[in-house]
Amino acid sequence: MKGFPMNTSLVNTLLMLPALLLLAIVFAWPLLDSAWLSTQASSVLTGLAPTANGGANWQRLLGDARFWQDAAGTLRFAVVSVGLELVLGLAMALVLHRPGRGRGWLRALALLPWALPSTVLALGWRWIYNDPYGPLNSLLKLFGAPAYGFLTTPATTWLFTVLADVWKTTPFVALLLLAGLQSIPAELEESLVLEGASPSQILRRLTLPLLRPWISLALMFRLAQALGVFELVQVLTRGGPAGSTESLALYAYLNAMRFLDFGYSATLVVATFLLLLLLTAMGWLLLRRRPLEISR
Amino acid sequence: MINAMPVPPSPSPGLRIEGLSRRLGERTLLADLNLEVGPGECLALLGPSGCGKTTTLRLLAGLDAASAGRILLDGDDISRLSAGDRRVAMVFQSYALYPHLSVADNLALGLRIRGMAAREREERIMAVLELLQLVELRLRRPAQLSGGQRQRVALARALLRQPRLVLLDEPMSNLDAQLREELRPELRRLLCGGSQPVVYVTHDQQEAMGMADRIAVLREGRLQQIGSARELYEKPANRFVAAFLGRPAINLLPAEGQRQLGLRPEHLVPVETGGLAARLQQREWWGHQQLLWLESARGDLRMLVAADQPLPETLEVSWRPEHELWFDSHSGERLAAS
Repeated sequence: MKGFPMNTSLVNTLLMLPALLLLAIVFAWPLLDSAWLSTQASSVLTGLAPTANGGANWQRLLGDARFWQDAAGTLRFAVVSVGLELVLGLAMALVLHRPGRGRGWLRALALLPWALPSTVLALGWRWIYNDPYGPLNSLLKLFGAPAYGFLTTPATTWLFTVLADVWKTTPFVALLLLAGLQSIPAELEESLVLEGASPSQILRRLTLPLLRPWISLALMFRLAQALGVFELVQVLTRGGPAGSTESLALYAYLNAMRFLDFGYSATLVVATFLLLLLLTAMGWLLLRRRPLEISR
Repeated sequence: MINAMPVPPSPSPGLRIEGLSRRLGERTLLADLNLEVGPGECLALLGPSGCGKTTTLRLLAGLDAASAGRILLDGDDISRLSAGDRRVAMVFQSYALYPHLSVADNLALGLRIRGMAAREREERIMAVLELLQLVELRLRRPAQLSGGQRQRVALARALLRQPRLVLLDEPMSNLDAQLREELRPELRRLLCGGSQPVVYVTHDQQEAMGMADRIAVLREGRLQQIGSARELYEKPANRFVAAFLGRPAINLLPAEGQRQLGLRPEHLVPVETGGLAARLQQREWWGHQQLLWLESARGDLRMLVAADQPLPETLEVSWRPEHELWFDSHSGERLAAS
């Protein structure tokens, strides 16, 4: 039998329709709904019924010091932890890429932290950091040091939240970059070895440039996730101490669930989304292919 | 100008391989290889896949470690040198061009790594680009080149290094048959006859015969025979070499006394009487020749005859005694003519 006499572009559209529909339902609709809600007053004061209030929510947002503080904090958290994850993930991927016995097991083992649910992980870290009974303090005691409140000052709490996030998501970055490394043919490296290149020259001249699409992919993924960080701070610090680790997502959650101000919560959600869009667009522009290196 | 100091002749110029072996666990990839390649000589390593030819090349390049043996280049033992210190150039089967760099930068990268000054670097690159007619393509990326152009870039990169030894791993296998034929003389002109030995790996007997001064036939990690194409063709050391060289492949007929008779298809002639009776089964007409598939009492035969030769359904086939090749049917070794 010969091929079906069908309009292929029509068929293509029809085949994509279910996926588009799903995207519309789970992504576009909630977003549009939130955008609409951000123009409404919908809180205990209005009996939770949405009432149009013009741009009042947005006006409030612009003047909300807590929002700006959370935005800066979330951004700082995302940039630092994603930066660390990229560096450590690359190192991990390079190690996992080397041939050797038991590599399969090592890879599986390395992925474990990423496979754990964030909430479980955050609870685990909370116990590790516990003052004075957690393992870290037991370790300090072993060396005769006094117990330390890891999650008591804003600076250390922030640092240890970053560490917990890095610990969990570095394997994800490593896995992505490992896939990238495996897509680079071995002869390219061998050819450079024959040219007398050292391992660091190979990394700089060959591996990193060829890995760039994978690095930007990992960056986009992780940046988006880190800007929306919620479970980790909710379970580990509850945004404390003194709101120093409160993320935008947590603030939005508090507005909806504690303050029962759905209109403002929706405003925060949309603002976070716009921030994310802006950052990923910037990242994408930065990591786009550079023009040819030309030697005359 | 200062006159160059007279250089003492090097003890044994060219490449010398002594007892080279590579074992991987239980498997022997290469067993006790001994051979020499003179300066400017092109040696083809020929054999089916898994015969050890690429293994040999990688050992010569220093990309894999030998289990035993020595590699001497102009008398210096290079077996202990790292791959980067051997000054060996290799053209990979896939060409291994750096996909993120232009043609010119593909060539420049190695020189940059070696720290060559920009001025000298660019002069050398330009010279090699001109030699290989790549000047106009110098700003293109590998993905924007045809297969033949990529091969030329890989070749340029190898020559640019002014290597002491050139290694080529199936450099033509990614090209179509016509291009392969066209490129052979050019490749010979560029590579062979210089000062450095050339080792050329291929599984294509025609390419080996066309490219190389001598051919080394490998099978299962062991050298079967080394010699000129003509020596290998006329006096194969064993049945394997006889069957691997020459197309259509040699006819092997069972004979008395644990022997086999090898007859090349082109050595068979139709005769009126007194030959081996045969029936015509099939015919391939090739324009300049025709290949006949015959059935005889001693077994099936392939026979190559002139394209216009008229042929009946049954015929008698004969050959000259000096074209007979006799093999031991157990060991496969060639026996002295009886």
